[in-house]
Amino acid sequence: MNAAEELKQAMPAAVVSTGMLIDKPLAIIKKEEILKAAGKVKEMGFDNLSVITGIDYRDRFEVIYNFFSYKKKENLVLKVVLDHEAPSVDSVASIWKVADWLERETYDLVGIKFTGHPNLVRILLPDGWNGHPLRKDYDMETEQFVTMGEDGEDIVSTDGSNLLRRR
Amino acid sequence: MDSVTIDTTKIKPAKKKPETALEKLNDTGLINTLLAAREREGMILFSTVDQFINWGRFSSLWPVTSGLACCAIEMMAVTMAHHDLARFGMEAFRASPRQADLMFVAGTVTKRMAPRVKQLYEMMAEPKWVISIGSCANTGGPYIESYSVLKGVDNIIPVDVYVPGCPPRPEAWLYGIIQLREKIKSQGYGAKWGLNK
Ligand code: SF4
Repeated sequence: MNAAEELKQAMPAAVVSTGMLIDKPLAIIKKEEILKAAGKVKEMGFDNLSVITGIDYRDRFEVIYNFFSYKKKENLVLKVVLDHEAPSVDSVASIWKVADWLERETYDLVGIKFTGHPNLVRILLPDGWNGHPLRKDYDMETEQFVTMGEDGEDIVSTDGSNLLRRR
Repeated sequence: MDSVTIDTTKIKPAKKKPETALEKLNDTGLINTLLAAREREGMILFSTVDQFINWGRFSSLWPVTSGLACCAIEMMAVTMAHHDLARFGMEAFRASPRQADLMFVAGTVTKRMAPRVKQLYEMMAEPKWVISIGSCANTGGPYIESYSVLKGVDNIIPVDVYVPGCPPRPEAWLYGIIQLREKIKSQGYGAKWGLNK
């Protein structure tokens, strides 16, 4: 029995289905239950949340949590499916400290709201950037430029007139 | 102590005032310098100010220590002993842009880094030159379709030499440096200020 099935046995109400993602056990979790599932995963001996990703499928968003256990050398992938209009899911940062930055990245680039996150602000792009670039409907036509203010803070603008050389 | 005797016969008479045109020309000292140079058989070099100053400039180009992405790793290879940047007098990578007169833009210029790169360039003292290294700095390279990368560093600062490649081999890098030296050689020394172009 792999880790995903183990998780399903432990909390049958939370797990929608199990399967394999390439060669890693995969469990699709109800989005209300992700916090409990993340806690259970920790109890099961997984000690590393290696990455959180978000994917835009045009009709839905998926957030994928990749766990790894250094002791057992095992992988486990959790997945939640979110609706496309207002994607939001509970933050697991209270259980997994590393999720703080990983969720900020997912918020920054895919625009998924993590409720209960201690500090949900952009991590890679400067504040004031318009849109979330890894969304399929991101506007690639308007180019955004970053300039520096007096105190070295980033200012986002679309003209970049004090950055670009006049030709 | 012996008393000093002065042989007055060896003292030349005070120079007489130049009268003829030839004497006046002699008096400027220019002819004397030329004659002295001939007598010294090559011990005096003649040069133009341009040549002399440019020789000083291209023989000790000091680059500023700045790298942006993978091309900067190649920059480290260029500075190592195997490729011997020291023979160009430019192994002294300065940690301060105030002391540098060459900037390698080595790597991807992201939108967020662009104002910093521009500021670094503006902090360098004139005269200064820029070599754009790699596809990223030249045009945006593999990231030309990206939302976050500037499409060529020449959008924000003037570039003297472009070196293509991803990353350019150290040989290409050295070739770019040689091209920049040629460029400096052919410039009037005031070219950077808009004088005698
Ligand atoms: S040109 Fe290639 S090697 Fe250089 S910074 Fe860009 S991707 Fe990296």
